[in-house]
Amino acid sequence: MISVLYIIVFIICIYTARHYFFTLNRLFGFQRHPYIDIDTADWPPVTVLVAAHNEEKVIANVLSALMTVKYPEGKMLVVPVNDRSVDKTREIIDQFVEEFPGRIQPFHRTSGKGGKAAALKDAMELVDTEVILIFDADYIPGAGLVKQLVAPFFDLEVGGVMGRVVPLNAGTNLLTRLLDLERSGGYQVDQQARMNLRLVPQHGGTVAGVRLSALREIGGWNENSLTEDTDLTYRLLLNGWKTAYQNRSECYEEVPENWPVRIKQIMRWAKGHNQAMVTYSMRLLLGKHRATLRERIDGTLLLGVYVMAPVTLVGWALALAVFYQGVAPLHGVIALLSLTAYAALGNLAAFFEIAAASRLDGTRKRICLLPFLILGFAVSIFSVSRAALSQLSDLVTGAEFHWDKTERFRKAL
Amino acid sequence: MNPYVAVAALIFVVGLMFMLPLVPALVELRRKSDALPLSVVQQNAGEIRHFADSFRIYIQSLEPILQRCVDTRTTDTGVLSDGEEYVVMGRVDEAQVRLLEKEDPVHPVLIVAGVDLVVPPEATLSKEIYARGQFSGGAKSSYRAILGERNVRLGEASRVLRWVHAVGEFTADVGCRLYGRISSDLLIRLQGDCSFLRMNAPRIEIGDGASPTVPAPRESSVPSVARPGTLPRLLQDGDFEILGGQVIRSNIVIRGNLHIHSGARVCGSVKSVKNMVIEDGVSVEGSLISARKMRIGPNCAIHGPVIAERELIIAAGTRCGTEQYPTTVSAPRIEFEEGVVVFGTVWARESGQVVASQ
Repeated sequence: MISVLYIIVFIICIYTARHYFFTLNRLFGFQRHPYIDIDTADWPPVTVLVAAHNEEKVIANVLSALMTVKYPEGKMLVVPVNDRSVDKTREIIDQFVEEFPGRIQPFHRTSGKGGKAAALKDAMELVDTEVILIFDADYIPGAGLVKQLVAPFFDLEVGGVMGRVVPLNAGTNLLTRLLDLERSGGYQVDQQARMNLRLVPQHGGTVAGVRLSALREIGGWNENSLTEDTDLTYRLLLNGWKTAYQNRSECYEEVPENWPVRIKQIMRWAKGHNQAMVTYSMRLLLGKHRATLRERIDGTLLLGVYVMAPVTLVGWALALAVFYQGVAPLHGVIALLSLTAYAALGNLAAFFEIAAASRLDGTRKRICLLPFLILGFAVSIFSVSRAALSQLSDLVTGAEFHWDKTERFRKAL
Repeated sequence: MNPYVAVAALIFVVGLMFMLPLVPALVELRRKSDALPLSVVQQNAGEIRHFADSFRIYIQSLEPILQRCVDTRTTDTGVLSDGEEYVVMGRVDEAQVRLLEKEDPVHPVLIVAGVDLVVPPEATLSKEIYARGQFSGGAKSSYRAILGERNVRLGEASRVLRWVHAVGEFTADVGCRLYGRISSDLLIRLQGDCSFLRMNAPRIEIGDGASPTVPAPRESSVPSVARPGTLPRLLQDGDFEILGGQVIRSNIVIRGNLHIHSGARVCGSVKSVKNMVIEDGVSVEGSLISARKMRIGPNCAIHGPVIAERELIIAAGTRCGTEQYPTTVSAPRIEFEEGVVVFGTVWARESGQVVASQ
């Protein structure tokens, strides 16, 4: 029992150090934005896929925004991927097709496997451009965003591109404000630090791009993956392609406005991420491929982030058990450390990261909400642990994953 | 003390201490003083001409006054709605400009000239300048920003702090310091020893006689991002060399240093994860990207974007982009020898410098 506890404390310490390292890099290190200055070029043709499943509330916003994007005429085709919608998504898309002839080519999918990856896979029959951008339907791209996301593809090492996500409904309630802070930490610090340090920036599957030849080389979209973005990140990496993160390519999104939706969302992310961990972690860490040592280590740690929730819970339980059994290695220091390591230092590391992100974003007052993140953390740790347990149980019973679409809160136009 | 009271007091004090960090959080949650979404640039796409375009709109209300002053060959002064003072000049008046320049340290005003504007040497004008005619600045002068509807020429050792946009040609004489955005709808010409940060024009000539005889890369052969399946990708670990005169028909990614010898031709894009050295007369039909330093020798022709993450040195006679396909040249530190031509954008994040050709 004690040795398991030792291992858990050690792993938690690694993640804690990682948080601090990323934050300090972001505050004081060399910042890499190699492609953001490319504003003049022989821009390649691009296909913009907009994944939409029952998105009548938001689909018009994203299509309107895409129609005002600054990109050379005739070089950008928008493909709304209407995945078996039963609301007015199809009608709204068709209205846009009529209004903007030649600029939108809809892909109406009426049957087939559920999930974004499966829909995107089917929609590839309409894609013949080397550069593909992907947006979820609740995103609102700005005028310069498409060029910014295409620019990294001039680098032939880049197979995927990821932009920064910014919550549009940040001020709605406590949850959205907490998610705003979390997103800030995740992108402004975590993702950019990975870019700076040439580690593994994660493809997010939206506000993102992928190179068609790279996608073909890795076997296309994996429809069996619960999180096609994580899956894509690792398959690209294992095949010698990089994912570039563009911190200044920002795009508004809508975050969940109530806790049940948030819990469903994070549980799906956790399951998908864990699935990718099982599939890729050993191959990434020990396999024969072109990833560098630092990419192998960082990529493996990234794959493990959602497993850390149940691991932490187990650590707490073990620490308590050890304490009440009267086992006090190193005069109880280990028990004390394991109880406080994540609760205090570990959390502080994540909070430090978010505070640094707020500072980098130039915001002032929203940082006051930092103590409330304990609440978000508590919900996440139990939801993610529940997801892991449910995944184990599905494995035993052979139950299939049910795809939960994230509910939208915006009023339809 | 009653033990029950003591326990209650302890619980109260502990609770109070626990709640203390939450007080600012509760206040912010209630007041929502910083609850707006983070500002994301939605409308402009980082256009280099953004400030110039905004300034043009800003002074639109002065158009009738400007026209009147030009017609009557007079000068007028006034205050814009935001309190900004201006002077509108309808005729060439060197004495007036000299007076404005003398008063600038204590009383700077926005200058709107309806005719050619000549600024005397060693002048400092710390507000924006609009010139409907030619703008000609004397040596060692300092400006905040200039919008010229025709040609703009800065005298030697002049400085620009924010931006210049010339609808005609922009020329900076020897030793100018250009700290902001410089753009022209026709041509930018920088003489020797000029420094720069960000420039955009259909054609940017560095130094006198910057008209390389190097043929442009074949414009229709390979786009900067190759079409699917058109070119394979050569991925090489470690250092790599392309021999002189060799023709490579693929995209190249080198995870080490790359050396391209004289006269080689790459029908694709090139990436080096370390340093890149390109000798004279090399032609690259795609992009050229180095994660560290890049040195491009004389008389090369590069079609696509040229990006170096640390430092970029380009020798005389090299051409980046073409008239038909302008491109971007970017690095934190850029050094151009006189005789370089760029079609499109140059962006030196930290410093850009023109040096004499060797």
